[in-house]
Amino acid sequence: MAAAEALSKGRGQGPARLVLIAVALLFLGLFLLMPLLVVFVQALAKGIGAYFVAISDPVAWTAVRLTLYVAAIAVPCNLVFGVAAAWAIAKFNFRGKSALITLIDLPFAVSPVIAGLVFVLLFGSHGWFGGFLRMHHIRVVFAVPGIVLATIFVTFPFIARELIPIMQAQGKDDEETALSLGATGWQTFWRVTLPNIRWGLLYGVLLCNARAMGEFGAVSVVSGHIRGLTNTMPLHVEILYNEYNYTAAFAVASLLALLALLTLAGKSFLEWRQPELRHAVAAAHDRTRRINT
Amino acid sequence: MSIALRGIGKQFGEFAAVKNIDLDVPTGKLIALLGPSGCGKTTLLRIIAGLETPDEGQVLFDGRDATLWPIRDRKVGFVFQHYALFRHMSVHENVAFGLKVKPRRERPAGAEIRKKVQSLLELVQLDWAGERYPAQLSGGQRQRVALARALAVDPDVLLLDEPFGALDSQVRHELRRWLRRLHDELHFTSIFVTHDQQEAIELADIIVVLNRGRIEQFGVPSEVYDVPTSAFVHRFLGQVNELPVQLQGGRAMLGPIEISPAAALPTGGATNMALIRPHEIEIGPEASGWPATVAAVRVIGPIVRLELCAEGRPVNEPMEAEISRERYESEHFAVGQRVGLRFRRWQVYPANGAAA
Repeated sequence: MAAAEALSKGRGQGPARLVLIAVALLFLGLFLLMPLLVVFVQALAKGIGAYFVAISDPVAWTAVRLTLYVAAIAVPCNLVFGVAAAWAIAKFNFRGKSALITLIDLPFAVSPVIAGLVFVLLFGSHGWFGGFLRMHHIRVVFAVPGIVLATIFVTFPFIARELIPIMQAQGKDDEETALSLGATGWQTFWRVTLPNIRWGLLYGVLLCNARAMGEFGAVSVVSGHIRGLTNTMPLHVEILYNEYNYTAAFAVASLLALLALLTLAGKSFLEWRQPELRHAVAAAHDRTRRINT
Repeated sequence: MSIALRGIGKQFGEFAAVKNIDLDVPTGKLIALLGPSGCGKTTLLRIIAGLETPDEGQVLFDGRDATLWPIRDRKVGFVFQHYALFRHMSVHENVAFGLKVKPRRERPAGAEIRKKVQSLLELVQLDWAGERYPAQLSGGQRQRVALARALAVDPDVLLLDEPFGALDSQVRHELRRWLRRLHDELHFTSIFVTHDQQEAIELADIIVVLNRGRIEQFGVPSEVYDVPTSAFVHRFLGQVNELPVQLQGGRAMLGPIEISPAAALPTGGATNMALIRPHEIEIGPEASGWPATVAAVRVIGPIVRLELCAEGRPVNEPMEAEISRERYESEHFAVGQRVGLRFRRWQVYPANGAAA
């Protein structure tokens, strides 16, 4: 009640509020909404027919398929890695723990282009493992494996970063209780740990997936831009754009934009579902605070 | 089941949490591990549970070496201070957890599990709450669910880590009595950790007082309270007044009161402190003892606490005495009144606080 009153009173209050809101909205409109709108306007500039022709182009479709394929490998890999890393960091003490935390952030810290170059240097024909790979007829760079590797590298912090604070806040009590009740480690993971982190995990997967599908820099370096073979959606958009094929470029871009909108919708849904998660995290914070005092 | 610890030690980095602990817990007893925070009591409990591995020493369950047994095989029920209920499961599912994770061969049938859970929920007086979720229960109710869950797997030992620490005093009091009854009915061996001396005295058959990773004293509550073997235990188990012992020509004095020949003091002649509990101070007419002034009176339910400034003592360090409400109402001590103090009991320790 009191809060509602304060809010309604605040409505008529001071120019500062209005200015702040106006600035925020203006900024959002200028830098986020307008570009998004432009994407769709440009994509549909030559009519809906041209739009569908553009996105049903077989080369565009291979790009879509490759993007989905790469994400379908990269996201599960990072899911396993993220859960394992978060588990290790949150529930155990070991030497080099802070080094591991720093390493997880590495992909956020380095430019994706450098990440791509690293893989070229490692697996390219003149790279460290180039000779070995050539001997065994394995192509990594300028092929799908390189794209997958680069994508995994760039997206691996997302899930771990999302889970570490949640798991740290929840502590070990639940797991220890489960073990004392006779559960195996596996049962404890599936029945206790996983349900405790499910919303955070889903959120991390969502962000990871969005980035995996949208990654440009690292993938661009290792892909080789072979049309119909190693072009993901973002690379395909760039090629079309460079060929002055704006309608097609924006049509494919609109698919990526739709994906972003879907991700946002999913994120909002999770946040709406998250009272449960927030509640749990708050309770856990409360608990650690009480333990520390 | 009886539990024995032999030479248990555990380090966390540089910090020695427990050092060379020997302890025997007889079957069917309710034991309190009592001590200030950081004394190693929780570490000791976790070592018994199998949640920590000791660096040295042995844990014996019924005489068998259980030091390296995994927690699953120990048949211990562990109850955490903050309940650790599985928040995504209903109360019923929480209690059933230990039964449902049993290997298929040992797992009871669904109907049997339901029956057992129901009877456990009745035991903890929560049979109405089976479909609720932990978030919908109060602290005391959650702790009872945690107990029911621990009991579901028929543990031989029940280990409780500050089980009532997060509850308010009314609920705490009720739960203590309830746990005592439960323990007496079910005859398992229980060990609980607490920093609350009153809780330990009220609930336990045996109190183990811990300080800095070592056992200071082991005994039944009245013995630990009345005959503390060290100044630490004396201070930790209740209020004390500390008075320096003065020496006057071979006599040991507390103010004008002679307590013993100096030679009988633990350190012969050096500095000693006498520890006196508030209820061990006797208050009479001024001429009857150490002259003092009543500085404050506080009525606390059935007892009355007086602050007394004795002659020759610093004014800002009054002694505390406790008398019964009846005594107070018949004699009516008032602030500023002159009285005489005598001591019914005292215990003398070397002033550095080491054991006498």
